[in-house]
Amino acid sequence: MISDQAKKEIDFWITKYPEGRQSSAVMQALTIVQNENGGSLTGDLMREIADHLQMPAISVQEVATFYENYNHKPVAKHTIRFCHNISCMLNGSDDLISYLEKKLQVKTGEISKDGLVSVKKVECLGACVGGPMCQIGDQYYEHLTPSKLDNILDDLK
Amino acid sequence: MSEIEFEIDGKLVTANPGDSIISIADREGIDVPRFCYHKKLSVAANCRMCLVDIEGSPKAQPACSTPVANGMKIHTRNDKAKSAQKAVMEFLLINHPLDCPICDQGGECELQDVAMEYGTDVSKFNLGKRIVADKGIGALIQTDMTRCIHCTRCVRFGAEVAGIVEMGGTGRGEDVKIEPFLTEGIQSELSGNMIDVCPVGALTSKPFRYEARTWQMSAVETIARHDLVGSNIYTQTYRGKVKRVVARDNELVNETWISDRDRFSYEGLNHESRALHPKIKKNNKWQEASWEAALDFAVNGLKKNAQNANQLGVLASKNSTLEEYYLMQKLARSFGSENIDYRLDKADLSIRNKMLSSITLAEMESVDHALIVNSYLRLEQPMINHRIRKATLNGASVNTINNKKFDFNYRTDLEVLCSPQKTLLMLQSILKSLHNKTKTTAPKNLSKIKIDDSQNKIADDLIAAEKPVIILGEHVNSNISSSDITDVISEIAALANAKIANLSLSGNSLSAEKVGFKPSIKGQNAASMLSENTKAFLLMDIDLNYDFINSKLATDTFNKDDVFVVSLNSFEDEAALINLDVLLPMAGLYESSGTHINFDGVAQSFSASVKGPGDSKPGWKIIKVLADLLELKGFDYTDSSQVADDALSIAVSEDNEPIEKNIKDSDDSQIAIHWQYSPYAIDGVTRRAKALQETQIGKMNDAFISVATAKELQLTEGDLYHGVPVSINETIAEGCVFVHTYQSRKG
Repeated sequence: MISDQAKKEIDFWITKYPEGRQSSAVMQALTIVQNENGGSLTGDLMREIADHLQMPAISVQEVATFYENYNHKPVAKHTIRFCHNISCMLNGSDDLISYLEKKLQVKTGEISKDGLVSVKKVECLGACVGGPMCQIGDQYYEHLTPSKLDNILDDLK
Repeated sequence: MSEIEFEIDGKLVTANPGDSIISIADREGIDVPRFCYHKKLSVAANCRMCLVDIEGSPKAQPACSTPVANGMKIHTRNDKAKSAQKAVMEFLLINHPLDCPICDQGGECELQDVAMEYGTDVSKFNLGKRIVADKGIGALIQTDMTRCIHCTRCVRFGAEVAGIVEMGGTGRGEDVKIEPFLTEGIQSELSGNMIDVCPVGALTSKPFRYEARTWQMSAVETIARHDLVGSNIYTQTYRGKVKRVVARDNELVNETWISDRDRFSYEGLNHESRALHPKIKKNNKWQEASWEAALDFAVNGLKKNAQNANQLGVLASKNSTLEEYYLMQKLARSFGSENIDYRLDKADLSIRNKMLSSITLAEMESVDHALIVNSYLRLEQPMINHRIRKATLNGASVNTINNKKFDFNYRTDLEVLCSPQKTLLMLQSILKSLHNKTKTTAPKNLSKIKIDDSQNKIADDLIAAEKPVIILGEHVNSNISSSDITDVISEIAALANAKIANLSLSGNSLSAEKVGFKPSIKGQNAASMLSENTKAFLLMDIDLNYDFINSKLATDTFNKDDVFVVSLNSFEDEAALINLDVLLPMAGLYESSGTHINFDGVAQSFSASVKGPGDSKPGWKIIKVLADLLELKGFDYTDSSQVADDALSIAVSEDNEPIEKNIKDSDDSQIAIHWQYSPYAIDGVTRRAKALQETQIGKMNDAFISVATAKELQLTEGDLYHGVPVSINETIAEGCVFVHTYQSRKG
């Protein structure tokens, strides 16, 4: 269920677009609803968003599966969103992702045993100058090395 | 618009500005390979297969999305074009499985055909192929999405033609999947067309799966007869059975689409309850008989029970052929009986109840306003609804007056809920409002009628429109005032200068009307035959439990010991057999030659696609022999086309009943029931088509009642109303029950 508060927030974004184009607010709506639902989406929620924005449910699903920032399974408290596009890859992102997987004993997309951390490969986050990089919450971490990752993981609670 | 002149493969041609290269190539008979382009869908240009070389352009251009220009020199088969096409082909084949031998599309596959010409026999690709898990999208369409090449024709079909966006492309990049939302499956009443538009074997017909290879079957041109459109189809047959139905192009009738009902109903032909041998009931026991014995038994019984000619009653369903109607009424009239009727589900059987349509199918898509009365157009006449949908896409507005709110696949402006008892009054108010607005004098009988805002708006919309149409649907058939309603609609149409589409005559009713398959003033109609002194019945294609508005009266009458009933039918049901005396197995849909008269009045004749199973014989032959045995003259036909010629050349004189005009005080104390069959339960064949019954439309089973009416009837949600679960909500007018179901009519 989408809360009234969330609906209000979505309605604010609808006003940003011309009348009849309320479906343009789908990305903001998905973000708002995902945050409210603890970081992931469900089919029912996508259906509700579709009804609220008067658009076909499949079109919401298209958007929600196209972009990496929407999750369709429950997530850990912290998701390490690791860029694996060209700049980061040339600077060793593949090795760092393997390092993370080994250290946390998870594969990308899975949640660590303590439920604290999950790792997700994402497309370019626009911080190529600082590659290899990752995003945790709203924070970017750049020029990553295994020891930097160790420190970051230690700080996650 | 001035024409453009350009060259294609060295040939000088002309076209209109805005025409795409591919459409001109098609016109000129030049074959350009394509997957995503479809003449009836928007241009996506995402498969890149139709790349052609345009002189002066550094790269090859897609022929589907490139408009022609003056002086263009296009080459579709030079080295540059060919190498571009081959390169695209190589990409498309990277992820396509090599499973043609077990693929139902094999032999009619666009990818296979194009790969033969443009593909190479060796793949340079040595990485893993993409595999898509199948999740199943319903009973009609089989998915093998690993074969999908992402042309998005099915996605665009849903959005642009079916009017419900069901398929979509989820994921991104290599992981894109074409699928419906979650696990909901496909619900559209036109969904089968996705099978036709799919260029590969990703979407194939589920009932047809592994039944036959395409090259083993023969295709027979024929006509679908479940609705008023008479969609043009091919039946594909193998070893004497109809294995599949696909659409046949006819721009004036069905364009390139057909409804799921027309596509999948053939399954019913192979149902285990087919009548295979003549049967007679002797001493209350059924026994199989030879044709001779059964016909003798039938003729003797008819003669014995109908010693006065007017004791014979002849009834038929809405789905017989023109030939069958013609011969059947000729038999009755030669015998001396005027008791002839096909209007078994009508409450008002007065003869003047006849309103002709004044618009053609093709014109329907250019109306600018439609008033839909008593119809769930989308399910009842899908192809006509499609035309109206096209009109709405061009800006037409739609108002509806219905017993219940329905889910149309276009926007409706005003949906007026109105119970059957109040429909006449509602239309009279609209008529009066029109009189007021056009400053014409309203007839006296309208003087006391009040007008409200919605009625004024409906009148306003009709007047404001340049090309309005009033559509009357089949829900009116259960209305006891239906002839008054058609009168008022005719008057409204005259005043508002609107066209009329009378869709209450569905199936092949127009053929029945054409040959006068109705009693004249001297005869008895369906209702009075059942309640009066008719002792011998000849039934054609009738299911006793489903087809009569009062099925209890019908079964009780047929059950009487002194009533002799001969039934021509393709199916035998135990329930129906109890009431009969002779069952003559009749060839079913696609098993007999015949003629269907469609909405435009076009008589479309067809030949038999296959022979009927067992001893069954075409209906027209059975009637001819019956007539011969009854020693009636004028039945010397050797071919159904001779019958059709006679049937089309006769002019039926219409008796005119005196018209009494008065306002019927609506009786609000009565609760009106409208029993609407699901579109997949309208006749014997569709009811027995298994896959159709498994769809959501096929499973419809609700008795809709408003809160107040439910209280009055002391019903709560989930109770059974005549065997149908009650659904209480506010989408239904007060004072009526709208039963939408596949179940037979009770009581």
